[in-house]
Amino acid sequence: MAPRPAAGPSRTARQAALVSAPPPARNGTATAGTAGPSRLGSKPKKRAASPSPADEDEGEDELLLLGDGEGLEMSGDEDEDDQVDGEESDGEEAFPELDSGSELDEQDDEDEDEDEDEDEADSNSESGSEDLNDEESGSESGYNSSDIERMYASSSTSLPPSPGGSHKNLLSTDEKLSRMIAKHSVKPDERIGTDVDLSTAKKGVGKLRPSKLVKGGIGGSMRISRRVMNPNTVGNIPMEWYDDLPHIGYDVNGRKLFRPAQGDELDKFLANVEDPGAWTSVEDKALQQQVQLTDKELDIIRRLERAENPDADYDPYQPTIEWFTGKGQERTMPLSAAPEPKRRFVPSKWEHKKIIKIVKAIREGRILPNKPTATKPSVYAIWSESDQPHAEHAMYMPAPQLPPPKTVESYNPPEEYVPTEEERREWEEQDKEDRKTDFLPHKYDALRLVPGYKNMVQERFERCLDLYLAPRTRRVKLNIDPESLIPKLPSPKELRPFPVASTVQYRHPGDTRVRCVSVSSSGEWVASGSEDGIVRLWDLGNGREEEALLVALVAGKVVVLSPLWLVPPAVATATLEHVNAGYAHSAATTKIGAGKDVRGTEAIKWTRPSEGERERGVLVTVEVPGTPKQVSWHRKGDYFATVAVEAANKSVLIHQLSKHATQSPFRKTQGTVQRVAFHPLKPWFFAATQRYVRLYDLAEQKLLRTLQTGVKWISSMDVHPLGDNLIIGSYDKKMCWFDLDLGNKPFRTLRSGCSHLDSTLLSLTFPFAFTLRPT
Amino acid sequence: MAKIKKRGESGAAKNYITRNQALKKLQISLSDFRRLCILKGIYPREPLNKKRANKGSSAPASFYYHKDVQYLLHEPLLVKFREHKAFAKKLARALGRGEWALAKNLEDAKPIARLDHLVKERYPTFTLALQDLQDPLNLVHLFSTLPTNPIPGKTLVPSEVIQECSRLISEWKVWAIKTHSLRKVFLGIKGVYYECTVPGHGGEPIRVRWLEGYEFQQHVPHDVDFRILLTFVELYRTLISFVLYRLYTEENLVYPRLWTRSWTSGKGVSKKEVKRAIKGIAAGVSVSAQDEDDDVEMDGETAEVAEEDFVERPSKNEAELSRRHRRTEQGRFDLPPVRALHLLPLRETSSRTWEFVIRAMGGRVVTAAQAPTLEGPVADGITHVIIDRPMTAERMREMQKGRKWVWIQPQWVADCVNRGKVLDAEEYAPGKLLPPHLSPWDGEGELERPWLDEINESGAALTDAAGEGEDEEEGIEQDEQEDSEEEEEDEEAAEENTPEYPPALLAAGVSHAAFRSQLKEATKANAPQAKTSKSAAGKTAAAAAASGDDADLRKIMMSNKKAKLYEKMKYSNRERAEEKEKLEAKRKAIEKRKAKEARQAGKA
Repeated sequence: MAPRPAAGPSRTARQAALVSAPPPARNGTATAGTAGPSRLGSKPKKRAASPSPADEDEGEDELLLLGDGEGLEMSGDEDEDDQVDGEESDGEEAFPELDSGSELDEQDDEDEDEDEDEDEADSNSESGSEDLNDEESGSESGYNSSDIERMYASSSTSLPPSPGGSHKNLLSTDEKLSRMIAKHSVKPDERIGTDVDLSTAKKGVGKLRPSKLVKGGIGGSMRISRRVMNPNTVGNIPMEWYDDLPHIGYDVNGRKLFRPAQGDELDKFLANVEDPGAWTSVEDKALQQQVQLTDKELDIIRRLERAENPDADYDPYQPTIEWFTGKGQERTMPLSAAPEPKRRFVPSKWEHKKIIKIVKAIREGRILPNKPTATKPSVYAIWSESDQPHAEHAMYMPAPQLPPPKTVESYNPPEEYVPTEEERREWEEQDKEDRKTDFLPHKYDALRLVPGYKNMVQERFERCLDLYLAPRTRRVKLNIDPESLIPKLPSPKELRPFPVASTVQYRHPGDTRVRCVSVSSSGEWVASGSEDGIVRLWDLGNGREEEALLVALVAGKVVVLSPLWLVPPAVATATLEHVNAGYAHSAATTKIGAGKDVRGTEAIKWTRPSEGERERGVLVTVEVPGTPKQVSWHRKGDYFATVAVEAANKSVLIHQLSKHATQSPFRKTQGTVQRVAFHPLKPWFFAATQRYVRLYDLAEQKLLRTLQTGVKWISSMDVHPLGDNLIIGSYDKKMCWFDLDLGNKPFRTLRSGCSHLDSTLLSLTFPFAFTLRPT
Repeated sequence: MAKIKKRGESGAAKNYITRNQALKKLQISLSDFRRLCILKGIYPREPLNKKRANKGSSAPASFYYHKDVQYLLHEPLLVKFREHKAFAKKLARALGRGEWALAKNLEDAKPIARLDHLVKERYPTFTLALQDLQDPLNLVHLFSTLPTNPIPGKTLVPSEVIQECSRLISEWKVWAIKTHSLRKVFLGIKGVYYECTVPGHGGEPIRVRWLEGYEFQQHVPHDVDFRILLTFVELYRTLISFVLYRLYTEENLVYPRLWTRSWTSGKGVSKKEVKRAIKGIAAGVSVSAQDEDDDVEMDGETAEVAEEDFVERPSKNEAELSRRHRRTEQGRFDLPPVRALHLLPLRETSSRTWEFVIRAMGGRVVTAAQAPTLEGPVADGITHVIIDRPMTAERMREMQKGRKWVWIQPQWVADCVNRGKVLDAEEYAPGKLLPPHLSPWDGEGELERPWLDEINESGAALTDAAGEGEDEEEGIEQDEQEDSEEEEEDEEAAEENTPEYPPALLAAGVSHAAFRSQLKEATKANAPQAKTSKSAAGKTAAAAAASGDDADLRKIMMSNKKAKLYEKMKYSNRERAEEKEKLEAKRKAIEKRKAKEARQAGKA
């Protein structure tokens, strides 16, 4: 009935079969592929009705195929031939790829293809109608074939008009296909349903037919009565398709049925409350309104609820019809005519012999009836001196013994054990599990006054439960002095010399607060910055330096200062030269190509300070985004890095003084960078975020290591001048010491008593770390 | 290349099995599994990592050791369970069909599960069995006092079980009496605790402690599952009977004892037995506890009477006998000297307890039943009378009829046993406020109270008139003890240096004035010491402060794990110290109050 649409999947299956399967398998695939008992059924009819020339064409096709050397065996059965042909004509597109020899015939094949398709379409429509006729004659008798034909005609005209509708030759295969699909995608049932209405409408008769299956036809009449009451002809479709439309379907005359007025929730509620029959009504989906159930229907529901037969008239206790029993119905003849064998009524000889034997044995005493079996004694020596205990095994965990009773449990304990009133109340209020003792100590004057213990059974029972139900595990109980856990430290005396007293004090005038201190790498200068915005430089000894530079951090800017008047003239000139070389270089780069600037650093400007500022020692000013918080010099003094807050990925900047260049080493930082430091010897760079310290190789631009500190928030960081040790301080009272040769975890973590560490410093010569604590 | 390790094929995942998995593996019901676990002594384990043991799931489950369950697979008991199941089915079928003969045959061939192999398997040596004997004895003691329907409408306790439990107890006690192995008695709130020393594997002494409740009806809560308890009792009965067999055989006695047959036959008592019992009484043979109680329960009594009739086994050879003697010589632990005391417990005292204790200590008991009129040779032998009721001096004199009896409260016996000597009976006289009764196991992990010892020792003087035979040795012993005590006291006095009254003196009844003068001298003598100690204290305080700083520094260097452990230990130590201090403070307050009252009473 539906050859084309069904051919879709079968086609692919067939192709696969053609490529791979041996010839005998082909028939199988073919029959499986075409969906079709219906087709099989229709075929002979079609053949009988219209032996069309297409058949002959197909025959030619076969010959052609054979000529191609496909080597398929064609059976003589026409039916099969037909199927195969149809498939082959579809599958031919695939052939050329397989077999180059068939290329010549392609053109012809295609032409023929089209012809075939048309023919098939024709024949299908015919066969379809025939099928329908068959069905009707089988099930319902009230329809003419003319009705259906009309319907089909209308449906075919209702299809989108194709240009070559009348001229089949001009129809493209696609169009035909879609037409077929449209025709056959309607379910036969629905079609029949609509047909019923159509035909009855035409006749103008609402014909009821009682169900043949149920006696009395209640079920059938029910359904039909509802159908009759229901003027909606949309059929069995989900009614939500009409949700957006003002109507809910069509009546038999094709007029729209409009949606009955739907009250709001309040109306529904009121209707529910006021109408006494509300609870026996159900919603009719098709009409979208409440329908009152009849008494009969309610009765059916009630019966279904009680798991009874829904038919009220059904009698489960019908009188039995006695076919083979009862008076006059007895079978007089036996089933078998064989006579009753003798063994049925003669005692067994062999059994008798056996019994005689047993009796004889009993008489002779060889068999003792009810002889008590030899039992093991109930107790015997089960243990001997040669017993060996269990071998020690980790999984052998004997149950712990109950502890011995203490004096508290005595019937007459010393008076201090007797709980006071308060303790007694406390004990009573405690949960059973929290109590230290499971009894309340009491002092009795004499033994005769001691009452029975109430919880004895309960305690024994709980002990038993513990023995077989409580999970056991091995716990090591330490019986040591807790003080032995504290590690031994060398006394501070042995660690001398270290500064023990303050020798010099450097005072900022006034009562300004000193906010930062920095010591030069040689240890000969100390710079301190105070709240009044003045940087003071303190000479710790006779400095011999080539350059003297400071970097001060001002809001939004980084300022490079130099106390030129303090240092020897040679050093001063060297310093100036170093700084001023940068101006030249930056000018050169701007000339050559500003586009080559390191990306992301456009906002950073190196500016020459004004005359007045220069007088005060300012050499260069660098404007950076955000508020710089920390500066860290590289050991060689050409580079310095700054850390700024609120500057996103530009929070860490590396500045080169000699070229007046600034780089942002990180495209994206993971977490906010707290501190940075240069490795003193290698082109490495430490950046401490809140929890981790990352070590980058600046030359190769890659992450070398991530040190896991285990602290909550890093506050300070210092690298040992030899570069192999790193120390960090944190706000959570911890100091971690990393040895870079020893992995990513801290070599030691020390806790300090104060709230947090402000900064840490490592000593070059002595194994000391200095920490600054807030006071 | 090393083999790739797969998940869930080794380690905790392989080692542990959940209970449901075990049930599935064994194909038995939960109740059968429970029974099996109880009998075989299989218990759940707590894996170090539950998630790993449960194959990644963190759902709560109880884990069993996989090999435990594996061994259960070929447990003979499991076969018996199955047999019993089949038997029950067959029997029910036969009964349902009314085939009585078949049912009887089936009943005769009922499969009986024996637990012998379990006893040997769980306790491969006798020592191990003895070490685990506390729970069995406790439970069997409890069961001997239970009614047959502890919870009405629920599991019944068969009367045979109760009877067997009481039989086992009496056998155990009889053994203890025979071998004099009772060492400690403690009268607690829950009941009476006893401790015996039992020779274990190779004669090594094992201490076995058990608890016997007071003779009252047991209160049984409704949520107690007696099926579980009965399973335990089943195992424990077997274990105890095997232990008793061994103990009795060691003593060259026959076990199971012959009278048990007459007991189990349940036909009451034959006349012969009664006669024999009466004869025994007349002969002055000490008779059992229940005799005096009431004469109605003759059934039980005669059984107890028969206890005394030990049946000596024919000795196998000389070697064994000598070995046994040797062992007894070795096992002659310090037998307390309550020997040959005739004690008369009066009716209100628990004869079950006191008769056992006294006889186990080598004393003799004369009960009211034996000497109802308190006349004749039996009554004349009485030296001590245990009494637990208010008594007037007149009545006492009347009862004594010129004989010299020492009247004591029952606690005296227990204290004597625990101290290993006969104490002064004066403090324990009827109507007197008794000295506190201390646990003999206090040294084992609890606070020690030397002051309480002092009270008792200082007041204790030798007044034992009856136990003359053994007294000589004891006297020496006591002298030695006293010497050591004095030394201890001296040491303590030196240590204490407190101007407070030593409670020992208070208790000893030293007069107030005398004590004052003593105290003055003592304080004078101690003054220079105190000074030096003060200065020393100052120094040490400074040192402590310095060391405290130092300790802080050192604590910084502790690893986290150790720091936590340290804190825990510190905490528990502090708790213990606090408890101790609290007790001490309470004690001092009480003493002060008492002293005050005494002074006021003296003035008045």
